[in-house]
Amino acid sequence: MTREYVVARASEIPEGSHRIVRVGRREIGVFNMGGVWHAIPNLCPHQRGPLCEGATSGTLGYGPHTDWKLEWIQEGEIVTCPWHALEWHVPSGRCLAFPDIRLRKFPARVDGDEVRVIL
Amino acid sequence: MADYAPSPWDVALREIAKVPERYLDLPGMSPRAEYRVPWPGGSNRKQTVDSASEMRSGLDDLHVDRAVLFPDHLLALAMVRDPRFAVALAQSYNAWLRDHWLLAEPTLKGSLVIAPQDPVASAEDIRRHAGEPEFVCIYLPASGVRPLYGHHIYDPVYEAASEVGLPVVMHSVEAVYPTFPFQLEVFQTSLAQHAVAHPFSMMANMISLLETGVPVRYPDLGIGIMEAGISWIPFMLNRLDKEYTERRREVPLLQERPSHYIKRWYFGTQPIEEPERRGDIVKLFELFDGAARAMFASDWPHHDFDHPQYVFGLPFSPADRRAIMGGNAARFFRLEAQEADI
Repeated sequence: MTREYVVARASEIPEGSHRIVRVGRREIGVFNMGGVWHAIPNLCPHQRGPLCEGATSGTLGYGPHTDWKLEWIQEGEIVTCPWHALEWHVPSGRCLAFPDIRLRKFPARVDGDEVRVIL
Repeated sequence: MADYAPSPWDVALREIAKVPERYLDLPGMSPRAEYRVPWPGGSNRKQTVDSASEMRSGLDDLHVDRAVLFPDHLLALAMVRDPRFAVALAQSYNAWLRDHWLLAEPTLKGSLVIAPQDPVASAEDIRRHAGEPEFVCIYLPASGVRPLYGHHIYDPVYEAASEVGLPVVMHSVEAVYPTFPFQLEVFQTSLAQHAVAHPFSMMANMISLLETGVPVRYPDLGIGIMEAGISWIPFMLNRLDKEYTERRREVPLLQERPSHYIKRWYFGTQPIEEPERRGDIVKLFELFDGAARAMFASDWPHHDFDHPQYVFGLPFSPADRRAIMGGNAARFFRLEAQEADI
């Protein structure tokens, strides 16, 4: 059964930043990306590293989505696991190296100054 | 290390302290350029450990209770051009490591580094540390070594190792030397270079050891190979056995097919391959008797370290898992004999 939890104050997580919160036995990474909120597990499916302790950045793209030009894309939307540098696109939960692997995403929203996550 | 270095090398080592240290730099004279384009993001955590207590703490987090340490900044030692400086680096490292890490933390064991540039001086250092239980193997830096480790100039090292009863262990690093095997230096990315640097170095030295019959000439010498993964080993076993059927007369010292010797060597697991079908890793281990010869290695704190939880979770039988996660290493490094000390 799902439940909504207040996990942080929105003012503590300015745009472009993220932090790790604890809900029961789970650690969740909460990201504020231009006012859009995302919540993903702080657990890399690769070797179970603390994914959300990594930095966010953009990444390099080169393919049909960049008209076959090398481009720096998705600025601020990529989190990189600090253990083995596997990259994840936070808004979609998709792994850049292995697109068939997706992170679980928890619905997140802001109500007043409360950041709320549904688990 | 400067306090342990003889004059005038201590002066050179003190000079290094004035220069910011980069990951995997060789003290003072790194041939390593910064290959990577500095894009933002990526893995930017600290990848060095500065004290025995910090290492112990990191290994506690990984649930590793005993470990054998390999040097960080000396991985590229074989490429130092001045043999006197190479010897000074190796000898002062060994003395410093023992005093500051191994005696301070008995669950950490050391690899005695040799400078391949001067095998006679290296043999002397091996004998100097004979009987010190803090060292459990002799480390042969393999990246860029010339000539390869089968060459007779290294015989003094193997004689000394056999005499003091320590195995030798080879370990490479990402650098690829321009002259071996060919055109490896033209790669443009770390992905390309790192994919071949370790296993190619190990393949070359493995062939070299067999070519000159090192395992036959030094039958009591334990031989280990680290940090090259394991998937290339079955290829080499079969390739060398095939060559042997046609060209045995070139290596008459070998009394058995090459794979029989190599299957007595020990192999560090890291960086463990991660095939799409996890069961494939078990098949790969079967192809080189890995259940009896593979030793879990973490490579902590480097960028491509393996968490023991991952390797432990691979679909091995319980007995094989126990051997791979510790039993084989305990046998190779003779850690059981030291159990009472800890």
